[in-house]
This record gives sequence, structure tokens and C-alpha cells, in this order.
Amino acid sequence: MKFIPAAVAAAVVVVLPFFLSGYHQGLAVYVALYFVAILGLNILTGYTGQISIGHGGFMAIGGYTTAVLSHYEHWNLILTLPASLGVCFLVGIFVGVPALRLSGVYLALVTFGFAVSVPQLPLKFSKFLGGSNGLHTDHTVTHLWLYVVSWSCAGIAFLLAWLLLRGRTGRAFRAVRDSEVAAASSGIALPIYKTLAFGVSGAFAGVAGSLLVLATNGFAQPSEFTVLVSLQILIGAAVAGLGSLWGVVVGAVFIGLLPSISASVPLIGSSHGQDVVFGLIVILVMLLLPNGVAGLLRGFEPRFKTAIKPGP
Amino acid sequence: MTALAQRIGSMRKSAVSTGGSIPVVLFLLAAAAFLVIGSLSSDIFAQQTVAGLAQGAIFGSLALALVLIYRATEVINFAQGELAMATTYIAYQLTLWGLSYWLAFFLTLPIALVLGMAIQVVLIRPVQHSIIAVVIVTVGLFILIDGIVTWVWGADLKFMDAPFGNTVYHAGGVAFSRQDIGVLAVSILSVIVLWFLFQFTKIGLAMRAAALRPAAAALVGVRVNWMLAIGWGLAAVLGAVAGLMTEPTQFLQPTMMQAILLYAFAAAVLGGLESPAGAVIGGLSLGVFLNLIGQYIGVATPELRLPIAFLVLLLVLLVKPTGLFGRKQVRRV
Amino acid sequence: MGMKGRLLAVLAGAAIVTGIAVTAAFGAHKADPGISASTITIGGTFPLTGPASLYKTIPAAEKAYFDYVNDHGGVNGRKIDFKIVDDGYDPSKTVPLTQQLVEQDKVFAVYGSLGTAPNLAIWNYLNQKKVPHVLLATGDSYWGFSAKKYPYTIGFQPDYPGETKIYGQYINANLKGAKIGVLYQNDSYGKNYYAGLRVGLGANKSSIVSAQPYDLSAGNVTQQVLALKASGADTFVILATPTPTIQALVTAAKVGWTPANVFINNVSAVGTFIKLAAANGAKVDGAISAGAYVDASVPSESNWAGVKLAKQIVSQYAPSLDVNNSLTIYGLANAWTMAYGLKNAGKTPTRAGLMRALKNLNPAKAKNPFLYPGVKLQTGAKDNFPLEQEILIRWGGGATGFWTPFGKLYSKIR
Repeated sequence: MKFIPAAVAAAVVVVLPFFLSGYHQGLAVYVALYFVAILGLNILTGYTGQISIGHGGFMAIGGYTTAVLSHYEHWNLILTLPASLGVCFLVGIFVGVPALRLSGVYLALVTFGFAVSVPQLPLKFSKFLGGSNGLHTDHTVTHLWLYVVSWSCAGIAFLLAWLLLRGRTGRAFRAVRDSEVAAASSGIALPIYKTLAFGVSGAFAGVAGSLLVLATNGFAQPSEFTVLVSLQILIGAAVAGLGSLWGVVVGAVFIGLLPSISASVPLIGSSHGQDVVFGLIVILVMLLLPNGVAGLLRGFEPRFKTAIKPGP
Repeated sequence: MTALAQRIGSMRKSAVSTGGSIPVVLFLLAAAAFLVIGSLSSDIFAQQTVAGLAQGAIFGSLALALVLIYRATEVINFAQGELAMATTYIAYQLTLWGLSYWLAFFLTLPIALVLGMAIQVVLIRPVQHSIIAVVIVTVGLFILIDGIVTWVWGADLKFMDAPFGNTVYHAGGVAFSRQDIGVLAVSILSVIVLWFLFQFTKIGLAMRAAALRPAAAALVGVRVNWMLAIGWGLAAVLGAVAGLMTEPTQFLQPTMMQAILLYAFAAAVLGGLESPAGAVIGGLSLGVFLNLIGQYIGVATPELRLPIAFLVLLLVLLVKPTGLFGRKQVRRV
Repeated sequence: MGMKGRLLAVLAGAAIVTGIAVTAAFGAHKADPGISASTITIGGTFPLTGPASLYKTIPAAEKAYFDYVNDHGGVNGRKIDFKIVDDGYDPSKTVPLTQQLVEQDKVFAVYGSLGTAPNLAIWNYLNQKKVPHVLLATGDSYWGFSAKKYPYTIGFQPDYPGETKIYGQYINANLKGAKIGVLYQNDSYGKNYYAGLRVGLGANKSSIVSAQPYDLSAGNVTQQVLALKASGADTFVILATPTPTIQALVTAAKVGWTPANVFINNVSAVGTFIKLAAANGAKVDGAISAGAYVDASVPSESNWAGVKLAKQIVSQYAPSLDVNNSLTIYGLANAWTMAYGLKNAGKTPTRAGLMRALKNLNPAKAKNPFLYPGVKLQTGAKDNFPLEQEILIRWGGGATGFWTPFGKLYSKIR
């Protein structure tokens, strides 16, 4: 019974492209890729309580992996996706290890630094990675191809996340979020699970990055992966909340479609107007609709009750 | 007030311990000696050091605001740079309306105070029980402020008068401008004012109490909520100063503080997130370090400055999280 | 009617029907997208916000020119509808926005899109879809050299390497023994400029004593200026976008470096920027740049037809623009060329017609009033660069000065 909404959604996704023009299919691609990225961040932040403002960095690494493999080795574009997944999983593990020693705002700071630093690397190694003009894949693809591939990735990502989170790993993740000390004292190997979460989450973001590059006519450029991308994914995860498929879809729709919708609304119609709307909505969501993020926040109350309390 | 001070003194002793300050001071003295010797022997070394100090003073001034908020509320404000930028635009607008530079400068400070306090009360207080929520709100604020400033003033480059003039002095083969000295002086002055505030005034004491032991402070009559708001307000004032000191080199554009935000974070962490003096010293050290590395290590080309700052941030947090001047905190279960 | 008559009638009827069908099939060809009985719709992406937003003057000036054309009979009776879209100089926005222009707004041509990286991200797509991608606002030479692979793409302004080649030639001829220090942006913009300088210097390129790249996101160029000062250079060549250019000039003065000669790339040599630098302490008198257009701020040009027309158009259609800003003149010159192309694209304009018109510009017919005298619009089978001439200009007057042309016109600079 409970699979019916999911089945309906899947049916909609399959049927939709027949009703959409190529251009609108392109928009749907952005929703799909942000879905994957936000799902990944949700696993990390929502389920294991590790804040990351650096997922744009993973997206950049994934995106450039696709571009490099296609440009230099002429890989089949679809095969670059699992390659991107693998590379970013490893990078995620690599980042997750030092992250073990950091928590809360310190981790947020470090991941912020990560997000700001990664786009500099293509500029430094500009011969190999194309510099500021970017690196492009050896051919481009149609809107329909992108739609099918990106939504397949979204479906697979969701399935993977579901399998991961319902079993022992998921329970371990939730235990870590609710209380690290309690989890450790009940025998859960904290380092393994926390690092695993970073790896998985980074891997998802990497695939999203590859899809972004493919959606941008196959161009990977540093300017596509500024720190704002990381901020946007975090905001998407905030709007999404936790534990609900629909939440992540809402978050992805919000991030993926806001630019094009706001471009045609008067007064708002320009990128700074879009920023105003963006910022306002996320702040309002955090302040007024804690339900949307109740899951994210629920886990943190016990830990932080002693930190700041409103006085009498 | 004496009773309160005694209470706070005892609270401090029980909750914290000073983190290795003697080795740190010795290390800094050694580094200073190295810089002096290097500057005397090579003109380009001296010039890079001086330029590094000038830039570092800018990092330090924004780091001061970050440290103040962290010390008062245990929160990192990711929107600090944007807030600083916005208050600089407000000063700019005041000059457009006819005020002289310095009049606009001093009028902007109370505006920043009110703005900072308003943000804390309206946006942060409702969510302050959750670190994630606060981080997300400050991130949303980052984008919102950027959008509002671009909306109101546009994104093209604007210029304000140079606060300290453009005169360049020469000493030996090294040149430095009055502006550089001015920024340094303002940063040091801010640290002294803050120190005075925290050590000797009732409000300062109350703020420290509210940050360290909110429950106990509340029992003693400290209005904790107001102290947090004032903390944000003061940080906004420091941010405004930082923005105004940055404008002569970065010029007035909505992205002017984004370029230095990571450096400011690194400087704050390097100095110890709770120490105002640390923030300035951290900034100066970072500025000089980046310049010298860029000059003498061939592979460290300018594209790597941000990654290097990131590595500094990471290493400090992994190896000595309290930075140069921070104090160890016991983690409550 | 008899059997014979009926047969004849049927045959005649069939012939008539067939004739009509054939005529309909061949004669009534579908008009290209963006063309209606009364309008031609074109569009382009521009950085109205973001780090390059000071270029937003260009599309504003282009729109003013099109408004002027529309008020004077339009293009063979059709009015130009110019859609200006903001991509913030971000290629990942340029792509979906351009797709929107082509697939949603169904523009006839993508016109004037600004920026190298943004245009590189879309030229594949536009050429695949056979959409004209014309008169781009960037001086990189990719567009000119790629006529075979990307036949629907063509640039406009004199290309960057050509401009710095002139500087190299000038230095060889007039500044013997110069020690050159170069500041260049670490991307194709700066690197192409730098390559052109080396070509222009030829055997003399060893006189470059220091070349300092910088990254646009770094926020300042102090390090690089210091290095250039330390190298002992007496000729400073600045190959940077406007903000770092201003910073470089101001910083040079701040650190006490006063090179005898300064060359500023044309993109950053807009009067507003130079005056700003001067007002902040930079020494700008004597700086040299290059240009190809008329300049309303030069007193000796104020009676020229192009300057008068520019003033008239600005005051009537875009009074908020500054006619003394060279970006305004650039926009007018570019839009003139587009209008010329549209006028010559056929009675009912076609995309193929537009490309033909722009790729066969005859200077005798395409007399663009906004070009500096002697500079010609010319393209042909082997020449995909509309403008290839420039004149050197020198700044005088400090913070309230202007550029004065001098010397000879350099031709075939590429």
C-alpha cells in the first residue's frame, strides 16, 4: 500500500517527457540532479548530524571526472557516472577521516573551505583541466537523453538510500545523530559509520555534478561550482527536511526551478531578485515551518540544550 | 559588580584552562625576529612582509567580528562578510547624501549595532537551540543580503574616498601607504576597546557570563537574551569597520567581502576563536605567511592562495583546535 | 459530356490540383523562427549582474539603437524585438537561458552574447541547431578562426591578440630597449592577449622581463604588481579586465612604481575606469591603448557624424546612458552592424540570409558611422573577422581627461 505514492510518482516521471518540450525536459533534468545531491546531503547531515557546506566541491570533482574521462579517453558518457560515483566516494572517505575530529560549526567551517578551494584547482592545473574556459566532453547529448539518464540516476539514488537507511547502517546512522556518546558506548563503531556517511554523500553529489556538466552542454568550468552551489544544496536539504521522499523532491524542485521561474516574474525577474527570494524562503522555512525540518532538528536538541538557553 | 566579577572569575577557572600560552608567545617572538632579519636583508622580502601585514590587517578586522559573535554566542556567522559589506554600502549611501566620509563612518556604526541586534532577535533567537538551524539561517542571510544589496545599489564597481589618504611613504626600498598604517591602527584599536569592554565594564562582564554559563548568569540577574543580541550588534559594528577598511583595496562591489571570508575564517581559527587579539594576530600572520610562501615557493602560485588558507584552517583545527590564543573547553556530555 | 470530355475534365482537374499542391510545397516555405509579419525577434545573454555587470551598458546601447531603427521604418518594415537576458557571466546559466531563447522564445538569431566562457558553452548547441550566433561581445579569436566548424558563429570587434600585436610592434618601433612587465589574467582572455604581445614583439620578446598572471577571484593584484616592480620593468602592459586594471594602476602608485610607459588593453580602457583609477592616486597620463570607434569625449571628434548620431540616439532613447562611455559607442556600432545584416538578409529575412550578409560585408556598402575613420567592416570567404583595424590612443588630463588618437591606423592586425 505504502508503495503507491512512489509508484505514481515513478509513472509520472516516465510519462512526463511525452508532454514536455525539449526545453522543459531540460528543466526537469536540473530537478533530478539536485534531487540526487540533496539526498546525499540529507544522508550526511540529516541522518548522521555532520554539517557540510562543501558539497559543491564534490559536485565539482564529479563533474570534472566526467569531463576528463570523456575529453581525453573518450569514455561512454554513461560509464563516467559510476566512475564519478567511485572517485567521489573515495574523496568523501578521505574528507570524512579528518572530519571525525571536528563537529558542529568547526566541520561547517572546514567544509566551507573545501568548497571554496576545490574550484581553484582547475585554474592551477589549467593545461590539464582547461582553466577558466573549462573542459568539455567530446560530444553533447539531447534533452531527452539527459532526462532519461538523470531521472534514472535519481531513482537509483533513492533506492540505494532507502536500502542503506532501513537496515543496520541506517540504525547506526540515526544513533550517531541522536547521541554520539550513547552510540559509542553501545558499541557502534563511530568512525566507520561517520566516514561511510561522508563517502556515500560525496558520491551522490559527485554524480549530481556529472549530470550538471552534461546539462551544461558538456562543459565543466570553475564558475559552475562556486560556493553558492554548496549553499544552495544545503538550503535544498533544509527545505526538504528529513525522512520524506516528497521533502527531497520539494527541495529539488525549489532549487532546480526557482531560477527559471523567477526569471519571468516581474520585480523578481533577475538573478539578484532570485537571491532575495531564495534567502527569504529558507529563513522563513527555518523560522516558521520547523515541521519541514523537524527531523533535521529533532536530533540536535538533546545535544545542544546546554549550549544556549534563553534566559528568564 | 564585584560579586558578579568574582562569580565569573571562579566560573572561568573551573570551566577552562589556559592553553599553552608561553610556547605560543615564544613562537611568535621567534617569527617576528625572523621577519625583521629577513626584511633587513632583502628588499623584496620586506615589501612582501609589509604588504602581507596590510592585507592581514584586513583579514583580522573581519576575523574580529567573527570571534566576537563566537565568543558571545558560540555560533559562527556565515553571513558576517555580507553584513559587513551591506553596512559599508550604507556608509556609501550616506556619503552620497552629502555627509563627509568620517561623519558617515561614525553614523554607520550605531546603524550596524541596531541591525546586528535586530537580526539576532528576529532571526537567530527562534532557532538558537539547534546549530544546524542557525548555520542554515546564516547561510540564507548570506544570500538574502547579497540579493538586497545588488537590488538596491546595483553590482557595478563603486568608490568611496580613501579614509586615510593615498600618500605613500618609503623606507629603504620598501613602500607602504598611510592607508595600510591606518587599517592596522584601527584593528589594534578595536582589540584594545574590546578588551577594555570585556574586562572593565558591567556589560562586558555580563556578556562573558551569558556566554560561559547562561543558566548561572541568569540566576545572578544577567539578561542573557539581551547579552546575545548585544554580542551580535557589536559584531556587526566590527564588521562595518572591517568593510570600510577593506573598501580602499577591494573597492565597493557586492562580492567585496566574499573574497576574504575564507581568509578571515582561517585567521580567526588560527588566532583562537575566542580571542580578539588572536584574531588580529592570526590575520597578520596569515597575510604575511601567504605572501612569503607565494614569493619564495615556486609552486605556490596565486591560484593556490585559497587552498593554502584552507589547509591552514584544517591543520589548526586538527592539531590545535584552540588556535594560538584560545582556551581549552571541556566538552559536556 | 461524352466519355472523352469527362476524361479530359478529370485530367485537367488533376493537373490543376497537382499544380497547386506542388506550388504550395515549393513556394510557400515556412518562415524562419522569430520572423513574423511585423517583427524580428532576436536575443542574447549579458552579465546584467555579477562580476562583469559594468558591461550592461552594451546591451542597453544596442537596444537604444534598435529603438531608433524601429522608429525610422524598422528593417524593411519589421520592428526588431531584442530580448536581453541576464546570465551573470555564469556559463551554467548561459546554457539554459540560451536554450530558453531558442526553444521557448523562438528567436531568429542569438545576437551579441557577451563573454568568452559563456559563448564557448553554447556555440556547439547553436551551430547544431543552425541558429545564427552573431556579433558576439568578446574579442577572443576563436570565433573568427572557426568558420568551417561553426559556420553560424561570427564575432565583431578586433580580436585581442591582434590588439596586443600592435602594442608589440609599437614598442619595437618607438621604445627601443624597453623592459616590459606584463600583468595578465590567468584565463584565455589574458593568455590570448599575452600571446599576441609576444607575436608583435617578434625577436624582441626577450625584453619581457616579467609576466605575472593573476586569478580574477583573488580580489587584488598586489603580489603581482610588487613582483613587476622588483623586476625593474619600465613598461607596464596591463592585460586585465576592468576591476583588476584599476587595482593594478592604483597599486602601482601606492607601492611607488612609476613605469615610463603603460599599455592598457582596450576592454579596460574605458574613460570611466581610467578616471576612477586617477582619482584614487594612479598615474595615468601618457598611458596607451587602442580603439576602433569614434569617441564622444574627444573634443576634435565632437563634430563627426557618428558622434552626433550617438548623442542624438542616447539622449532620445537611453538618456541614462553616458555617451562618453566607450561601451555605449561599442554597443551602437555593434547594433548598427546587426541592423545592416538583418536588412540584407532577404525581403523576408532568413537565417541563411543573415549569415550570408554578415559573412560578406563589403566596406563600400556597410559604412558604419560609429567606426573610427579608416576602420572598415569587412568579411569574406577567407576572412571571418569583421573588424581588423585599430588606432592607438593616449590618455591625457588625469582624472578629468580623455583618450586622444595618434599615429597611424594599423590594419590587418591579425
